[in-house]
Amino acid sequence: VPKQIDLLQGTLDMLILKAVSLGPLHGYGVLLRIQQISGEKLEIQQGSLYPALYRLEHQGWIASEWGESDNNRKAKFYSLTVAGRRQLHSETEKWNRMASLIASILRTTPEEI
Amino acid sequence: MKVLARFCSWVKWLVKSSQLENEMDTEVRFHIESYAADLVRKGIPQQDAMRQARIEFGGVESNKDAIRASLGLRWWGELWIDLRYAARKLHNSPGFALTAILVLAIGIGVNVAAFSVFNLMVLKSLPVRDPDTLVRLQRRSPENIAGQIPYPSVVFYREHAKSLSAVMATMGARTELDGDVQPVNANFVTTNYFTELGTSAAYGRLLDPVREDAADAAPVVVLSFGFWQRHFGADPSIVGRIIHLNKKTATVIGVTPYVFASLGDQHPDVWLPMTQQPYFVEGSKALTETGGGGSVEMWGRLAPSVTAKVAEEELLVLTNELRQQHPKDIWDHEFIKSDPGGHIQVMKAEMYQAMAMVGTLTMLILAVACANLGGLLLARGVTREHEIGIRVAIGASRQRIFRQLFTESLLLALLGSVVGLALGYLVLRVMLVMIKAPAWQSAAPDWRVFLFALGMALAAAIFFGLAPALQIARQRHRKTIARQVLVGAQVAASCVLLIVAGLLVRATQHVIYTDPGFGYQQVLSIDPGLASHGYTPIAARAYLDQFESRLRALPGVTSVALSSMSPLGHENVSTTTVDIGGKTVTIYPSWVDSDFFRTMNIPLLHGRNLLPGENNAVILSESLARKQSPGQDPVGKRFWDKDVVGVAANARTMALNDGDAMEMYQAAQTADMPGMVVLVKTAGSPEGLPPMVKSIAESIDPKLFPYLRLLKSDFQWNVRQVEHAAMVVSLLGITAVLLAAIGLLGLVAYAVSERTKEIAIRIALGASPGHVLSAILRQFLWPVAVGLLAGLAGTAVLSQVLRRVLFGVNNLDPTSYLSGIAVLIAIATVASLLPAKRALHVNTMRALHYE
Repeated sequence: VPKQIDLLQGTLDMLILKAVSLGPLHGYGVLLRIQQISGEKLEIQQGSLYPALYRLEHQGWIASEWGESDNNRKAKFYSLTVAGRRQLHSETEKWNRMASLIASILRTTPEEI
Repeated sequence: MKVLARFCSWVKWLVKSSQLENEMDTEVRFHIESYAADLVRKGIPQQDAMRQARIEFGGVESNKDAIRASLGLRWWGELWIDLRYAARKLHNSPGFALTAILVLAIGIGVNVAAFSVFNLMVLKSLPVRDPDTLVRLQRRSPENIAGQIPYPSVVFYREHAKSLSAVMATMGARTELDGDVQPVNANFVTTNYFTELGTSAAYGRLLDPVREDAADAAPVVVLSFGFWQRHFGADPSIVGRIIHLNKKTATVIGVTPYVFASLGDQHPDVWLPMTQQPYFVEGSKALTETGGGGSVEMWGRLAPSVTAKVAEEELLVLTNELRQQHPKDIWDHEFIKSDPGGHIQVMKAEMYQAMAMVGTLTMLILAVACANLGGLLLARGVTREHEIGIRVAIGASRQRIFRQLFTESLLLALLGSVVGLALGYLVLRVMLVMIKAPAWQSAAPDWRVFLFALGMALAAAIFFGLAPALQIARQRHRKTIARQVLVGAQVAASCVLLIVAGLLVRATQHVIYTDPGFGYQQVLSIDPGLASHGYTPIAARAYLDQFESRLRALPGVTSVALSSMSPLGHENVSTTTVDIGGKTVTIYPSWVDSDFFRTMNIPLLHGRNLLPGENNAVILSESLARKQSPGQDPVGKRFWDKDVVGVAANARTMALNDGDAMEMYQAAQTADMPGMVVLVKTAGSPEGLPPMVKSIAESIDPKLFPYLRLLKSDFQWNVRQVEHAAMVVSLLGITAVLLAAIGLLGLVAYAVSERTKEIAIRIALGASPGHVLSAILRQFLWPVAVGLLAGLAGTAVLSQVLRRVLFGVNNLDPTSYLSGIAVLIAIATVASLLPAKRALHVNTMRALHYE
């Protein structure tokens, strides 16, 4: 099993928004979806998931609704709100800018200075 | 949007927190079970899978707690825990809790009582129909203010103003009922008065615009409920009875209800229709005179959706039209000012100062109470060091401990506030009974008073709880500086209250034991009411000549005089302001005859008396003369375009309580005669005089009903007012000083207990008792001194406002200041020596062994 990567501080919210943006999910589903997209490389603290979900709902970025899971059980499904979509968009942009900036810094060779 | 969502989720939690907790449970369980199922699918045995899923998920409760925290909800949970803990703590130390609540209740209760009075007078709406649209309308101009307005103007405004749906007028008058000596207060009102206020009769009916405004309407009278009880023994068959007011017959048509609110807090004995005023007051021209005179007050009701501003604008246009009809009777730039009329008191500018004064005094009590309690809390912090130490050791943050301590203060403050509310209610209730307030004025607190009490509780909690909680949470409460600040604050605040109380007590003594500058013991004042019965100046002169000579012939009468203003009577008082050396000075000008000074026993210090009818002479009071030409002889100089012919001693005939009042006398002219008051001085006691005076007046003109007053009784009334004020403030002052003394006592006792070891060592090494005492008390010396100085300075500034009610006592009166300070120092000394003396009896051996 390849070593799993710890989540960077503050990125969980963004990943949840992304996961939910692909379609409504229950809490456990969010966890599975993130692990699935990351190719099982991301380790998410299960305990930190629910506080994050409630916080995002409290901020109005995701909305929740009770529904039925695949195995016909009552589960709470989360979906992205309009405000959440805007937030995800701006977070993504910020992340990309940051990532390319950091990458370009790390690429720097002695000749370029 | 975001804010809204956040708010909604909060409300959701608050309203259905148990449902949400359930949902959280369901969700977490679903997660764990789904995960376990996945683990089973990966080949882990069923029973192990569930266990592993639980372990990997982490603690369910801590997870839920984290969820709550992420919603900002943990705060509420903790608050609840803190409150329960605080309640338990207070329950465990009932002595401390009771003391604290009592101290706070006094501090808050005094303020609640003061605010309740203000609320009742100014904020509460009268229980009448639509009180918010009622307005009091008064004449104003940049130079003049008048509460009264000529009746023809009222009629003009009523007929033309479209922004007012109704105009009401009231006019007070004294009448004589069935030949009684005691006058009956009547209020002439426009017939729409009761219908506009939505009042219905307790018995019979009230005035009715349709019936009473008819040209041939029969004279009618409405009795007030109180007068009907007092005078007619609450006779239910009163309706239809004929009574005689000013010897004119009138039919009683009804009685006002027991619970009845009137405009401007007027409480006459009887209500009469304005249109019948000339019938009851024979000869009166009050309804027809367009200029001056009359005591008619105007009220209005704003038409639907009209603001007071719009009404004022329309009335200004109408005022300008009136000026064209009667150019002489309307002032330059005159306008009608509208004030909210649906309250007991129509707010006046000069009332704010008095209110600020009362507010300051009551807040000082609260300050003393809070400082006192702050000291108690600091001392309590020491006994709780152990408890707080443990909580820090097991991981509580300073912030958390501060919050716990402050919650405790908040709980105390709220409890104190509840008791304070009850106390305030009691005080107001007693006061309302004492002043015989009308039945609708209830002492029961309304939402404003509740809100005020809550605000006071919060303010008090911050005052007394914040600093100690911070100090204790940071474990710095043993520092002496906090204690010193608290002592200083208590001393300063109680110093102000004590000196102000001292000033008022001095004023009481002053007014009782010193000469007000005129003789009042043997003088009877008679207002024949010539002007209100339409006497011309010539007729008035003839009447007064005859009246005076008949009075002089009475046995025991030593002199008779005329004056335009009745001394100590608060009617027809006029003042004028002049500019002397750049300062505006208020003067009471009287028009008198030459017997005035002899009758009133006011010595002429200098110059000569006024000659009958002379038009160009003026006599100044001593204080005015000194102000006008300091160090010079004013006689022969000009003042007010008149020759100064004499200087009279100061006599505060018009404003007994105002030490700054100045008087000016001129000779009465024939034109002044209708407004004259007759003053009669007797050799002995004047009590037997009134019946004889009545019969003389009756024989000269039976349609007049003179109003008789003994100056002695008015004087006593004035004295009682200042006595009441002095009593109330003294009570406040004593309360403050006692609180401060208890506070000081506690703090010194605490300082002694804190330093037992040090004291024991000092004594063991042979320190003298004096040394030991000074070692303990030195830390309190400075704060007391600084507090005293601050209190002195504060009083000197604050008491400026009091000048006008001190009956001539200087607001910097050294006796009051020195005695205030002496009392305070004496009490502070006793309060600190009592516990400090315990230090001398410290058991040296035990104290040292203890370590």
